[in-house]
Amino acid sequence: MKSGLENSGPGQTFLTAMATYIARRLIQGIVVLLVASLLCFIVFRFMGDPVVTLAGRYATFDQIEEVRRSLGLDKPMYVQYFRFLGNVAQGNFGISYVTRVPALGLILERFPATFELASTAVILSFVFGVALGVLVALKPYSPRNRLIMAGSLGGISIPTFLMGILLIMVFAVYLGILPPFGRGETTQVGFWRTGFLNINGISHLILPAMTLAMYQLAVLLRLTRAGMREVLTEEYIKTAWSKGLPPRKVIFKHALRNALIPVITITGLQFGELIAFSIITETIFQWPGMGNLLLTSIRENDQPVIVTYIMLAAVVIITMNIIVDILYAVINPKIRYE
Amino acid sequence: MKKTFYLLIAIAVAVMVFGASVAVLAASSLVVAQDVAPRMMNPHGDDSDAGLQYMANFFDGLLQRKGPDGTLMPALAERWERLDQLTWKFYLRKGVKFHNGNPFTAADVKFSFERLNNPDVSEFINTGKSIAGVEALDDFTVVIKTKEPIPWFANNMHQVFIMDKESTESRDPGDVMVKPIGTGAYKLVEWVKGSYVRMEANADYWEGAPPLQTVEIRPVTESSTRFAALASGQVDIVTGVPVELYDKIVTNPKLDVVSRPARRSIFLALNNKPGSPTADMRVRKAMYMAINEDEIIEKVMRGHAAPAAQIPDPPTIGYNGNIQRLKYDPAEAKKLLKDAGYEKGFEITLSGPNDRYVQDAKIAEAVAKYLAKVGIKTKLDVKPKSIFFPEVTEGKLDFYLIGWFDGTFDMGRTYFKLAHTRDKESGHGVFNGAAFSDPDIDKLLQSTADIVNPQERGKVLQQLNKMAMVDKIAWIPLHYQEDLYAIQKGKGINFKPRPDRWMVYKEISK
Repeated sequence: MKSGLENSGPGQTFLTAMATYIARRLIQGIVVLLVASLLCFIVFRFMGDPVVTLAGRYATFDQIEEVRRSLGLDKPMYVQYFRFLGNVAQGNFGISYVTRVPALGLILERFPATFELASTAVILSFVFGVALGVLVALKPYSPRNRLIMAGSLGGISIPTFLMGILLIMVFAVYLGILPPFGRGETTQVGFWRTGFLNINGISHLILPAMTLAMYQLAVLLRLTRAGMREVLTEEYIKTAWSKGLPPRKVIFKHALRNALIPVITITGLQFGELIAFSIITETIFQWPGMGNLLLTSIRENDQPVIVTYIMLAAVVIITMNIIVDILYAVINPKIRYE
Repeated sequence: MKKTFYLLIAIAVAVMVFGASVAVLAASSLVVAQDVAPRMMNPHGDDSDAGLQYMANFFDGLLQRKGPDGTLMPALAERWERLDQLTWKFYLRKGVKFHNGNPFTAADVKFSFERLNNPDVSEFINTGKSIAGVEALDDFTVVIKTKEPIPWFANNMHQVFIMDKESTESRDPGDVMVKPIGTGAYKLVEWVKGSYVRMEANADYWEGAPPLQTVEIRPVTESSTRFAALASGQVDIVTGVPVELYDKIVTNPKLDVVSRPARRSIFLALNNKPGSPTADMRVRKAMYMAINEDEIIEKVMRGHAAPAAQIPDPPTIGYNGNIQRLKYDPAEAKKLLKDAGYEKGFEITLSGPNDRYVQDAKIAEAVAKYLAKVGIKTKLDVKPKSIFFPEVTEGKLDFYLIGWFDGTFDMGRTYFKLAHTRDKESGHGVFNGAAFSDPDIDKLLQSTADIVNPQERGKVLQQLNKMAMVDKIAWIPLHYQEDLYAIQKGKGINFKPRPDRWMVYKEISK
């Protein structure tokens, strides 16, 4: 939706343009949600019949049908879909087939674990990615920096699954310094269950956060490096150097600031995705987050949880996109929205 | 400014020390990494052994099965008798209290059995619907009438757990799903979904307080992570050791493997629709003889299975020790196919789950290869269990791999489910996924419905078993699985696995 760069200065029109832009994005978001939920219902047709398990191993044909009726699954698909939409409009996402409690609560209960993992991973990858990116950009051809670049290729290409298992084998099994799975000790603060408040919880966070951060770190490193190398050749940087400014000021204030815009965009967008889709990492480390729940629910064919999860994931990603767009405008006032 | 900073540091240190002390406390308890997570804490809502094994620690049934043999013993009922074909009388134990202090009486039994009928909270619909009425003669005597004779009714009473009527009715239904209030040997301390289930000993347990003070169960579904948890010393016992990791654990000096023959047998079901090749006995026999089961056990199961000649395992009523496997003989199989008019073979689809049994998809692959060698082109169709099992209940499969064992230790219920002709009216044959149908088997099976005496039942069921396995080749049996567990060596863990794979912590000590 970025309409490109325009030259008119900031002012009131900026705010109204922003408001219409956000309103339009929200409407688009609702359409996306509708399509996503419809797709879920279509896919469910091919996912097998949940009623067979729910009726119990020794149920007869009649008893299976009775359970089907009690869940409303005897109705045609479109009736089920519209009933689902009607309930969602009232904030009711349905009852999980498997655990028989509301699906939304089940997922939100897992949100803190995923959020803490994803945010740790994002911070790790941002800090190390940008720092290493700057380092490499300054002396691209030194052997050490070539090694870092080669390593970043590894970070991009080693699958998360393998990375997780390797980290577990090295740090948990052979060295025995970090725990291989789970969240460790957690503390309940209001509705939020956090692992940040004690050493045990933090030690459990390190390996999964590293695994999840690895890919993104490599991407941000390469992005920072590319941006920095480009910016460093600009005339104004040459001017800065020739003015005799200290290197710290030239690199961080003049160069990095300008190289950082695409890096921030990618970080923001990926944060949403990490929250929504850290499934593999969560599964290897038995991290009690939403991704882990989603995988279990798919295995057990718990359709209300799956559809609620996918809709929530869509909400998170849409929200992150809007926030990134707004941040963009704040960082670079030259960018306008129509 | 500086002061607040130090204050914050002090708070942070205090919190960390507190956290560490919690961890030390946890170290004195048994920690178990389980291959399955509990779905809920409602004892009637999950009839799988994976779920029941959690409930068995918080709740008691009228009867119980004691490890390591699975002998049927009294629990909340001190004794029981069968008054006639339909009527069962249970004499309840006095002085038992629920975890919330409520006394256990006949009203709780009546309430629990009636609750089985409600599909919103129960997967025991079948048991619930088979009961005509539950009557409390007094506070400690209950009479249960069934609609039809159910010879194995008492055999199943270790799976139906008794809930506290008062607190189950007064609490929010959502709370009942997550907080168990039973009479069991352990009380739930905390269940953090996906993380752990913590329980502590019930000091007032009617059998006496269990030896382990606290137990922490951590569900770890990924098998390599489960292994890492054990190898790094984080847990004392892991369940569900994959056969590929067996050698790694055996050679690790700190670990021990505990194994026992599983009750579950793996077998192949075949249709016998008139006109299809598999309706011909010679073809069924040929397929049986074409499969090299010894090689499957050696290569696919890595030695962790025992050949089976029938579906039930030895302790089951109806197991017939005289049934032998047909020997592996591909030449004979080819000859039989030729005699049956299928010299050039035929095509068939082998279905099966790929996430249910030990090496399930690989077994299916092996079977397809053996059959190809005698000319039967076998197409593989393996899929997740959530898709596969509904297909079985639809009854449209031709040939599939499945596993079974019956918690009642009585072959009757299983046979009605797997072997009887599919019949909507009587409800039999729901898991007869290839629509196998044989009037002789049906007739003999129905005649067992009102035989209760175990000796008499055994005789008829053995005869039935022989008819199904030898005369009709209703199924091609493959093997009995082996249950593998791993424990920390030298920690003095006294653990004997149960035949039903339940982890019952009052039977474990350290």
